Amino acid sequence: MANAHATAVRVAHRASGERRPRRSLLPYALITPTAVLLLVLMILPLVIVVANSLSSQVVTRPGGEFAGLTNFSQVLTDPTFWPATLNTVVFAGASVAVHLVMGLCFALLLNSPLIGRTTAGIFRTVLILPWLFTAAVIAVLWRLILAPTGVVNYGLESIGLIHDTVQWFGDPSTALFAVTVMNIWAGYPFFMLSLLAGLQGVPAELHEAATVDGAGPWQRFWSVTLPQLRPIIVSMAILDLLWTTQQFALIWLTTGGGPLGVTEMLSTFTYKLAFGDYDLVEASASAVLVLLFSLVVAVFYVRHQRRADA
Amino acid sequence: MGNGARRRWRVTAAVVALTATVALTGCGSGSSGGGDGKVTLKFSQWWDPELPKGALQGLVDDFEKTHSNIDVQLVSGPYASVQDQTFTNAAAGTLSDVVGLDGAWVSDLKKQGALANLTDLMKESGYDDSQLAAQVKEDGSTYMIPAVNFVYPLFVNTDLLAKAGVSAVPTTRSQFSAAASKVTALGGQTKGWVIPLSTQNPNGIQNDLMSWAWASGGSMLKDGQPDVTNAQVTSAANFVKSLYDAGDVTPGALTLQETDKVTEFTNGRVGMMIDSLSHIDTIKQAAPNLKFTVAAIPTTDGFSGKPGIPYAAWGLGVSNSSDHKKEAFEFVQYLMSKDVNSKLSTLANAFPGNKESAPDFTGADPLYQQAFEIYGKSTPVNEFVGLPTSEELMRDFDTNFQKALAGDQSVEQALAATQAEWKEKF
Amino acid sequence: MTTTTAQRTRVQRAGVLAALTVAAAVAGFPVAWMLISSFKTNTEVFAYPPRIITKGFSLDAYTAVLSDPTKLRFFLNSYLVALSVTLVTLVVAVLAAYAFSRYEFRGKGLVTTVIIGVQAVPPITLIIPYFSLIVALGLYNSYLGLILTYTVFTVPYAVIMMTSYFDTLPRELDEAVKVDGAGPLTALFRILVPIALPGIVSVGVYTFMIAWNEYLFALTLTQTTDRRTLPIGIQLLLGQTTQNWSELMAMSLLGILPVLVLFLLFQRWFIGGLTSGAVKS
Repeated sequence: MANAHATAVRVAHRASGERRPRRSLLPYALITPTAVLLLVLMILPLVIVVANSLSSQVVTRPGGEFAGLTNFSQVLTDPTFWPATLNTVVFAGASVAVHLVMGLCFALLLNSPLIGRTTAGIFRTVLILPWLFTAAVIAVLWRLILAPTGVVNYGLESIGLIHDTVQWFGDPSTALFAVTVMNIWAGYPFFMLSLLAGLQGVPAELHEAATVDGAGPWQRFWSVTLPQLRPIIVSMAILDLLWTTQQFALIWLTTGGGPLGVTEMLSTFTYKLAFGDYDLVEASASAVLVLLFSLVVAVFYVRHQRRADA
Repeated sequence: MGNGARRRWRVTAAVVALTATVALTGCGSGSSGGGDGKVTLKFSQWWDPELPKGALQGLVDDFEKTHSNIDVQLVSGPYASVQDQTFTNAAAGTLSDVVGLDGAWVSDLKKQGALANLTDLMKESGYDDSQLAAQVKEDGSTYMIPAVNFVYPLFVNTDLLAKAGVSAVPTTRSQFSAAASKVTALGGQTKGWVIPLSTQNPNGIQNDLMSWAWASGGSMLKDGQPDVTNAQVTSAANFVKSLYDAGDVTPGALTLQETDKVTEFTNGRVGMMIDSLSHIDTIKQAAPNLKFTVAAIPTTDGFSGKPGIPYAAWGLGVSNSSDHKKEAFEFVQYLMSKDVNSKLSTLANAFPGNKESAPDFTGADPLYQQAFEIYGKSTPVNEFVGLPTSEELMRDFDTNFQKALAGDQSVEQALAATQAEWKEKF
Repeated sequence: MTTTTAQRTRVQRAGVLAALTVAAAVAGFPVAWMLISSFKTNTEVFAYPPRIITKGFSLDAYTAVLSDPTKLRFFLNSYLVALSVTLVTLVVAVLAAYAFSRYEFRGKGLVTTVIIGVQAVPPITLIIPYFSLIVALGLYNSYLGLILTYTVFTVPYAVIMMTSYFDTLPRELDEAVKVDGAGPLTALFRILVPIALPGIVSVGVYTFMIAWNEYLFALTLTQTTDRRTLPIGIQLLLGQTTQNWSELMAMSLLGILPVLVLFLLFQRWFIGGLTSGAVKS
């Protein structure tokens, strides 16, 4: 934490560039709305969550006592906690990696000088569609098309790829794969758009210079495009990792963490503690653990930002 | 931080939060008296979306005509979100004045002190509770009154069974197995039976698994303690597993939800299902040409006792944080009164919670009448009502049973594991 | 020589187009299926084998949604909330970003860290205490409660992005105005904001999307149908017993229309803006 702070301070100093003589109350007035909002509606609830996680009863209800780390050890020894963590890692890791590859491929295709503006515009619009739907709809839609009697099974069977219907969400061996594919579908457009914008920012002279030096398209991609995109890729990957780790609605509304817990994530685990067991203090402890993990990622993010600014 | 400091910190946090909550909930919750002495009651429930459009509002309007000092505002949503909201609201002390309850919630809500003691309210208003068919009690006092009861009979697609060469609706488990495998043998997407076991909403354990045990007089409790490993539950679980293993069950069972069950049946892809009677209308609306009937749940071969039939209730409770408990109970009384209760139960295809009320069969679906006969011959059972964290109990059972279905463990091991987990929670 | 180059270009173009078509087909298929389903009757949605061309093409689902005042209310609520959130977020973020970009002040580092750090807070973590807090503030089941909530989740990202836009603009711009005797706020709104408009638009679209699609908090923080937003409305169609699939699909598609229009209107700016924020933030 201290480290992150120091980093951020350095970032701030660097970002501000030249020395500024002005020292007035104005900047404080300017950030007041932001600060108040965050303090009341973000920091305060966070403090309550942390307090709950250290208490034997929710702090808003009488009869609680300081419980130390009991809740944490309860959560950490829960037989479903570690499998849920592992699932989350697999789910988030695979989602982010494929988001990145898909986003990059689509962005490169859309950015190709070989196709016209209108054509690019049409494809861009089609490819952005998944991003526009709310999680509840995505879940319903995928349950419909992946159902044993759904169109995907029918299609695969018709072309002879599978012989028996696959219970995509219901079979323990495919469920995690199915939710991951769904999440990939729902999330790649954000990568695609960001990388597309990044590609448009790659100076043409760099490519020309590389071409003059005799570099082929593949080499140009590796030595010119990719290094230029690196900052965006890292930013997006880290943000996406945080968002995917927090994914709740998509999983809850399709598999509910089943079958046999193979799609149980930290988010569904926490939700079940809170709304199934009504064990709010343990749920808070679990939430704090997720938060700690997120903070580790956030520190990397801050580090990266510092380098990007340098 | 020393012990004292720690305590002070905690107490301060609690006091601040509590004062803030208490001070502001008054204006936050809608149950405030208007300037003209009018009281507004909020009534949260999942009934409105399940009844014919506007039906519940009609009952409310009638109530407001005779109680000019009370306004009732409906707070409606589908079951699952009403459940989540009821618990978050209970935690924050903002429960609606009159709450629609599921028997499975009562124990936990009562533990949180969110529900008013109805025994006291009945006494205060001189209410004669002998007309009530049932009351859900905790520690000797009533916290929920079942307004209407739904039975869960066996729904049978008569066309499919006839096509498969099954002439009579099965009444025993072996007849059922045989019928199920014949329907499955029709091929295509057709299956004999469907059971939804999603852990998102583990109701399938109650409605589609335990119902087999209850139908044959079984029980999962003994002296109020879990007894999941007994012969009857074991045989019911083994029976379900045998259907599953034979491939006579709709694929994807482990993540199917209750809505999927009804959808499969509605689309004529499944021969039989155990389901709430309230779904008759929905099914007929969605598939006017589907021919189906309802029957008692098959029993074990040679069973001769009085069969049990699973039921679920739409219950009524009063919020403990309501400022208008008296008016809230007046509304409960109204809904439980003879005529209104008849009307409500007829609208819902359910059976009245008032003993003196009778459902009105004129113009009603013949299946509804048929179910009433089944109801009359059986004992309504739902052992999950009143148990602590009953949804989580079902989820534990579900998780273990899924492992048995997947072949990771035997049914006996699954039940033993469930028993152990349940013991901890009682 | 010339012919081979031309030929090669043609082949390459065909390759790119083919690849894009495949990508669009795979990615667009679920949406296309949704569109097809919305024209079907309820039972036909589940017919097996699935039909691509529906027998009884009907717009009933759309008429049902558009003629139901309760459902229209969901749309209205969503517009109201999402537009307010966008507006509030932009104003709040522009002010803060101006301070971060143009001023040195004590505590700047700490606030920066907090703003970056809170992006890592999983919303599900907060839901329980957050609910009590909103109730305590008397904001339960109100538009204001939802607007403030979404604003809290969008402001950090918006501040970070806006700050980096302002950083890319030369300081001479606003100094020049100040020399003319104008105050710092005039400099901000007369000079910086108009120049940074593409960036502001892209932040705005992002904010709008978040507020338009949010589900978890909308469910928890509202109670009555007249305050609920579209994602909840869609979920309401999936009640315990009533499963009106074609209406559900129709409502979802009607729901993305405004977002799609917004995107098409602003996409040039949006795409340009999204990166400069991400790269430099």
